[in-house]
Amino acid sequence: MPAILLDHVLHRYGDTTALRDLSLAVEEGEVFSLLGHNGAGKTTTVRIVNGLLAPVSGTVLVFGRSPLADGAIVRRRTAVLTESPTLDDRLTASETLRAFAEMYDVPRVDIGPRVTALLAEFGIADRAKDRVGGFSRGMKQRLSLARALVHDPDLLFLDEPTAGLDPVATQQLHDTVREMARARGRTVVLCTHNLVEAQALSDRVAVLGGGELLALGTPAELARRITPRLEVTFETDPARHGDAVALITALDGLTVAAERSGVLRISGIPRERVPDVASRLVTGGIPLYRLEPHEPSLTDAYFALQHVSKGSA
Amino acid sequence: MNQRIIAAIVRKDLRVVRRSRALMTPLIVLPVLLMIVFPTVFTFLPRIIGGARTTFSEMFRNLPDPMKQQFGEFTEATWIRVVHTQMLAPLMLLVPFMVANVIAADGFAGERERKTLEPLLYTPATDAELFFAKLLAAWIPAVMIAFGGAFIYAVIVNVTAWPVMHRVFFPDLTWTVMVLWMAPAFAALGLAGMLLVSLRVRGMQEATQLGGLFVLPVIALVVGEVRGAVLLGPLRAILIGLLVWAIAAALLAFGIRRFRRTTLVGKL
Repeated sequence: MPAILLDHVLHRYGDTTALRDLSLAVEEGEVFSLLGHNGAGKTTTVRIVNGLLAPVSGTVLVFGRSPLADGAIVRRRTAVLTESPTLDDRLTASETLRAFAEMYDVPRVDIGPRVTALLAEFGIADRAKDRVGGFSRGMKQRLSLARALVHDPDLLFLDEPTAGLDPVATQQLHDTVREMARARGRTVVLCTHNLVEAQALSDRVAVLGGGELLALGTPAELARRITPRLEVTFETDPARHGDAVALITALDGLTVAAERSGVLRISGIPRERVPDVASRLVTGGIPLYRLEPHEPSLTDAYFALQHVSKGSA
Repeated sequence: MNQRIIAAIVRKDLRVVRRSRALMTPLIVLPVLLMIVFPTVFTFLPRIIGGARTTFSEMFRNLPDPMKQQFGEFTEATWIRVVHTQMLAPLMLLVPFMVANVIAADGFAGERERKTLEPLLYTPATDAELFFAKLLAAWIPAVMIAFGGAFIYAVIVNVTAWPVMHRVFFPDLTWTVMVLWMAPAFAALGLAGMLLVSLRVRGMQEATQLGGLFVLPVIALVVGEVRGAVLLGPLRAILIGLLVWAIAAALLAFGIRRFRRTTLVGKL
């Protein structure tokens, strides 16, 4: 049973269509990213999945239950880290976690140890009794994440989780996400603009645009599907540049440019032709010190998708 | 309904209110003024402005007949009884109303303004649990302050009036009905009004301005009392209380139908 199942979901805000026939499934234990510009439908999706919005049509199931009909049961298993830290400035860090542990019906005996452990894990133990109003943005974000984890959710939504975090805290969050998914089998849904982060963390990604699903797959699949050609750089003797260029341009449809002294770049080469290029250089007597194919990144795929989407709109 | 979740939200909301100077100031000043300062000053008023004794006598002569029949001719003792059992009595209802009103404004509109409502909507609390938690967080302190304030009021009146009355004369039955029956009703009215307003507006300031309009029935009662148009007796207090309870219940019933996550999230 998938953790989340969306089947032909449609949602509108007045005359504006926020989600258009969205269908996707998020499997248990995977890290899944929802990518898209502002207004693409990411937050709407999270709200629908948690029963905060009722879709106009379509089916939504979370662990096999409807978030609207069984909202309390569904939300007991989910947690949402909202984009901005939505903490009450007048509560202390410890009070915040305790209050939400109670609201999530965490057994009383577990609350104290869990709160203490989370405060320590996120580096706020020494500020446990301080009011949140005095915290930096990064500390607030860490406390928000601790709050989201206080009931040990099975399904965690992270909306722009690293916005405002320093590199150390960002790394810590990435480790937490990996640990939750890999070691504890939890499902994590990441809503982000940070494509590098999504590529590094996600098992699969869905690219949304204008409320529609533009693409779905692993980051590598997506990148290959959208941009099937590679770039290849190779390093040779600068004195043999001319020979190397002549050999490569003799191959059909390939262009080569000098990147810097001794390094040449071949653009838009089909994956299956990379061995041919290497072979041609070697048999042509060109000293080949290094040859490196560059896989298209999720960022390349994302912008290609958004470009196609805009073009077709 | 999950009482533990409700209790957690109530505790959180009350803690947040307690730590807000902006909220606590009116919550302290109004009860102190109405429950401590007013009874003290008004008990001693004839002595403080002794020269105005004739004015008071004149005022008594102009009171409606039923009130004159009830209180008789002007004496200092009559003054004390009229002031405390009739004129100032409805003012006491402002306390539960305002306390509930202010806390409810913070709990609904304030929480939305601070953007702390969204995490609450993501908790397992059902719409009904959220609704009742927010109601209780405003209603319980309003009623507690009203009861506590009424007790202090009664002590102050009896102590300050002792040299004149020479007995514990206060509270009378009407006032007791007002405290135990009408005060909780006005607290319910205050928060019901604020709830309805908060469902429509986004900000705390807007909510307090519009929600404050629901104080008009209390003001009308005070003016009616002072002008002698409404002479409160136990039966009338019970009936007015019943009416206020009915209005509050109707507003709350209307509010609970509108209090839906799916509606609230649209205002975030």
